[in-house]
Amino acid sequence: MSVPLVPKLLRAHLTELAENNRRLDERGQWDSRNLEIEHSVLPRAEGSAKVRIGDTIVYAGVKFQIMTPYEDRPNQGGLMCSAEVRPLAGRKYEPGPPSAESIELGRVVDRGIRESGCIDVDSLCIIPGEKAWQVILDLFAISDDGNLFDAFAIAGIVALKEATIPAERFEVGKDSKLEVTGTPIMCSYHKVGGRFVYDASFREELGGDERIHITLGDNGNVHSLQKGLKGIFTADEFEEIMGHALERTKQISKIINSL
Amino acid sequence: MGGYGDVQMIDENGKRMDGRGPADLREISIETGVVPVADGSCRMIWGTNEAIVSVYGPMEAHPRKIQRQDSAVLAVEYNMAPFSTTDRMRPGFNRRSKEISKVTKDALESVVLLELYPRSKIQVNIEIISAEAGTRCVGLTAASVALADAGIPMTDLVVSVASGKINDIVVCDLNKEEDNYGEADLPMGILPNTGELVFLQMDGNLSQEEFKQAWDYNMNAASEVHSIMKKALTGGDSQ
Repeated sequence: MSVPLVPKLLRAHLTELAENNRRLDERGQWDSRNLEIEHSVLPRAEGSAKVRIGDTIVYAGVKFQIMTPYEDRPNQGGLMCSAEVRPLAGRKYEPGPPSAESIELGRVVDRGIRESGCIDVDSLCIIPGEKAWQVILDLFAISDDGNLFDAFAIAGIVALKEATIPAERFEVGKDSKLEVTGTPIMCSYHKVGGRFVYDASFREELGGDERIHITLGDNGNVHSLQKGLKGIFTADEFEEIMGHALERTKQISKIINSL
Repeated sequence: MGGYGDVQMIDENGKRMDGRGPADLREISIETGVVPVADGSCRMIWGTNEAIVSVYGPMEAHPRKIQRQDSAVLAVEYNMAPFSTTDRMRPGFNRRSKEISKVTKDALESVVLLELYPRSKIQVNIEIISAEAGTRCVGLTAASVALADAGIPMTDLVVSVASGKINDIVVCDLNKEEDNYGEADLPMGILPNTGELVFLQMDGNLSQEEFKQAWDYNMNAASEVHSIMKKALTGGDSQ
């Protein structure tokens, strides 16, 4: 796969396809590519997952550090989420400090997990005011064929759900499971050829306009929203997307909780 | 080198803690095509080391000032993923990674026929997903497999192995515990078809005899690794 030199041609092609209710890979507007989830794949991480959506492949790894609690929250630990898309994952990525795009990626996934409250930061306290656990979720792209957001979000929550707090290694008690209550799931939609589609591929992203990311928790509660890139959308379009996200997050949540 | 010589890592029968003899390698497996969007790629598992390498190119080199009129430029990025080590590896600038990227590039430039692709760029990305000991060897070896998988002409593959010394005994392919207590480390990059070298580093303390022994272990190990590499490139997955 190569980056087309003339995205305008790609855009015209995508518009023509959309007018006939078709997509590049013949999927329906709301169809996802094949989703595969594996967990416990990284020997050095305290929790890990590998997610494959079509040819998009990502890893998530959980590590723990001991931190001093913030002064105004002496009984709380911390959660940090960072995403890296290195040149490994695609020819458009350059080495160097994280780009604005990968910072956005990490922060949007972070908000969905954090705001769902699935990690109880009070339970991460070891000694009030002195020691607490900091949970670090690292999201790492292997192959970017579009929709890294959803892949990262799924890998992230799966990795957290199977993480073990390595208390013995840090000599602060016995190892225990990290408590995760809830399964926040992100669904991403891209405007391609004038209409929103679910789970856009790399070429659809390349020739598309704005994107919308929705993270829903159990019971369909909304935990994070993000609109990215240039483009205008209507309230009706958003309502349609939200309707799909409600259904799809339930399906994915079921898959994750049966792993 | 840790230099704690008082920990017994080898028993009286010459068996190492993981059951290997002095000349034995850890288990190795190689799989190609693991990064579907890349032109060539490879996953190499060596003990509990795991490296994923992708190759992009030959492609347009930009900015134009990096172009060379008579050959391609080879760019190599070696990096350790944050979750690859016991204590989290902080992302960002790292002097060790920069040096390993450079010596890996120097080694690969010696075999890749860069003059066939003037003004273009070949990008090699080495990501260590899980680190045990000897990640630079895994990275370089895997990179040569990924370049071959991308169909880029080379004079030979590169096999990189290291030998070292623990408890005054020279052994091949140190694992993590051995590396922590190791007294020397000699990584080499060998062209398996000619026995020539494209990469050489060493640190620690070896007598002339010990050095010769470590050298010979590496040479012998190289042909063993080479057969696994060839199998991965010709018949899909290898063991």
